[in-house]
Amino acid sequence: MTEYLTEKDVRDIAAYTSIGLTDEEIPQMTKDLNNTIEMLKPITEYDLEGVEPTFHPIGSLSNVMREDVEVQGFTQEQALENAPAQQDGYFLIPSILGGGDQ
Amino acid sequence: MDLHTLGIADLRRGLRSKEFSATELTQAMLGRIEALDPKIHSYLEVTKDSALSQAKEVDAAIQAGAYDDLGILAGIPVALKDNLNLKGTHTTCASRMLESYVSPYTATCVQNMLDQGAIVLGKLNMDEFAFGGSTESSAFGPTRNPWDTDRVPGGSSGGSAASVAAGLATVTLGSDTGGSIRQPGSFCGVVGVKPTYGVVSRYGVVAFASSLDQVGPLARSVEDAAIALNAISGRDPLDCTSQHIDTDFTANLAEGVKGMRIGVIPEFMEGEGMDDEVRDKLNEVMNELKNMGAEIVEIELPNVHASLSAYYVLGPCEAFSNLARFDSVRYGYRDPGHKDLNGQYEASRSVGFGPEVRRRVMLGSYLLSSGVYDTYYYPAQQIRTLITQDYVRAYEKCDCILMPTSPYTAFKLGEVKDPTAMYLSDTFTIPINIAGNGGMNVPVGLGNDSHLPIGAQLICPAFKDENMFRAAAALETVYGSACVAPDFEKAGA
Repeated sequence: MTEYLTEKDVRDIAAYTSIGLTDEEIPQMTKDLNNTIEMLKPITEYDLEGVEPTFHPIGSLSNVMREDVEVQGFTQEQALENAPAQQDGYFLIPSILGGGDQ
Repeated sequence: MDLHTLGIADLRRGLRSKEFSATELTQAMLGRIEALDPKIHSYLEVTKDSALSQAKEVDAAIQAGAYDDLGILAGIPVALKDNLNLKGTHTTCASRMLESYVSPYTATCVQNMLDQGAIVLGKLNMDEFAFGGSTESSAFGPTRNPWDTDRVPGGSSGGSAASVAAGLATVTLGSDTGGSIRQPGSFCGVVGVKPTYGVVSRYGVVAFASSLDQVGPLARSVEDAAIALNAISGRDPLDCTSQHIDTDFTANLAEGVKGMRIGVIPEFMEGEGMDDEVRDKLNEVMNELKNMGAEIVEIELPNVHASLSAYYVLGPCEAFSNLARFDSVRYGYRDPGHKDLNGQYEASRSVGFGPEVRRRVMLGSYLLSSGVYDTYYYPAQQIRTLITQDYVRAYEKCDCILMPTSPYTAFKLGEVKDPTAMYLSDTFTIPINIAGNGGMNVPVGLGNDSHLPIGAQLICPAFKDENMFRAAAALETVYGSACVAPDFEKAGA
C-alpha cells in the first residue's frame, strides 16, 4: 500500500479543516484516507490530453436576471433563531483578540 | 381496511367518495408509526399535530365538495428525508451537528408537495449528511430493513425506503448523490427515482455535492412515484440549475415497451462485479422486456469503470466546501466553554461530525490542495466529460439502459465495516450521477438464494425521464407493484 499521507499530513489537514482529532484517532484516519486515495488511482492512469473538464452536468448556463424588485428575506430574528449564542441582535462568539473572556 | 397498503389513486378515490376521511387515514398511519416504527427506526421526527391539522383542512374541502381543487396529492400521507427543510421541523441530517436545528424555511420540493395537498407525517432517518450506503452512520441509530430487521435498508435514504416498504408512508422523498435513493429502493424492494439533474429544485435541500445531488420520490408503485415527481419537478427561481419541466411523468405508463430500444452492457449481463442471483435476475428482466416487444441493444460504456474513482474525488471535494458552513456560530452544535474561537471550531466540528463525515471532509480538503488538485480533481472533471460522452453515444442506439441497481441484496448490520468496501455498493448507480442522467430502481422480485428484494435499474438520457417510467411500468405488469414487507409486523423489536 502506497503511503500518500503521513500522520503529520493528517494532523495538518485536521487543523486546516478545523476538525479536532485526538492522538489516538490519527493512525486510523491516516489508514482510512490512504485506502481511499489508493482507490482513486484509475484517475491518474488516464490519458486525458485535450479533454475538456465538465465541472457541472448542466452546461451552457447563462445568467438569468430577475426583475429588480424588493423581496423579503429572513428577518434578523429569523436569522438568529438557531444561533447557539446571541446578544443584542448579533451572533456571539468567544473573543478573537487578546484571549480574554467574552 | 388496510389503508397503508393503498396507492395514491386508490386513496384519492376513497377520500373523494368519503369511504374514509383524511383524518381517519392520517390517524391510521400515525397509529402504525407509533406501533411499528420502533422495530425499524425509519422516523426521526413524527409531525403528528401538523399532520392532523392538515388532514382537517382536507376533510373540510371534501365536505364542501372541493376535493379536486386541492391538488394531486390531497390527503396523501408522505414523509421526508431529514435533509429536506420543512419550516418548524428539525432538519438534522442525522447528525449531532444539527440535532437541535429547527428549519426557519421550507425547501421548494417540500413546498410543492404541500401545495398539492400532501400530508407530512414526519422526517426520516438517513446516513449522516447522506454519506453512506446503509443508514448505519446516522448519529441517532440505524434504520432496519423491514424485510429482515437484522439487515440494513441501504442508504443514504434508508428511512425513506424502509418506511415505504413497511407501509408507514405512501410516498417519501429522498436525495441521491451517488445512488442514495436507488440502492435503498433496491434493498427494501420499492420504486426509487433519481430524476435527471435539474428536474427538481435543490433549494432547501442540505447540500452534499451540489453538482450531483438530486431529490426524488420513493413509492410502492411506478405510478405513485410518477405522480409525486409531477408534484415536485420544475423550475424554481431559487435554484438556477432547476429547469422548466412540462412533462407529465404518468403520461406513457400504459404504453408498454413495444418498439422501445433497451440497452444492455454485455459484461454486466455476464455478471461482472455482482452476485449470481443478481445476474440471473437481470437476465430474466431482460428477457421479460424482450417478450413484451422491446428491442434489446448491446451497448458499451468504455469509461464507466472510472466512475467510482471520479465520484470519490468530486463528492468529497464538494462536500468539503459545503460542510465548511458548519462553524458553530450561526447554527449547529457548539461545544461549550471555549475561550478561543479556533478551539471552539475544532471541538464543535469533531463532536458534531461523525467518523464518515470527518473522513470525507478531510479527503476533500486534501484533494483540493495545491499540487494534488492537478493529480485528482481536474482529471476527475475531465473523466466526467468522457463518461457523459459514453452515455450520449449509447443513447444514439437506445431509449433506456438496463443495469443492476446494487451488486447484492441487503447486507447485515455491521457486516460491512471497512469504509472503502462500503463505497463499492454504489458501483452501478454512481455513473448516472456523474453524467447527470436519470435513473430509477424497479423492484423485480426476490433473489433465489437470499430471498430478499432485488432491483433492476433503468436509466435514461438527460430530460427523457419518461422513457424509464414507461419501461418501469411495463416491468410492473410482470412483477407487480411493491408490497408492504410481509413478515415485518411479526418481527421482534
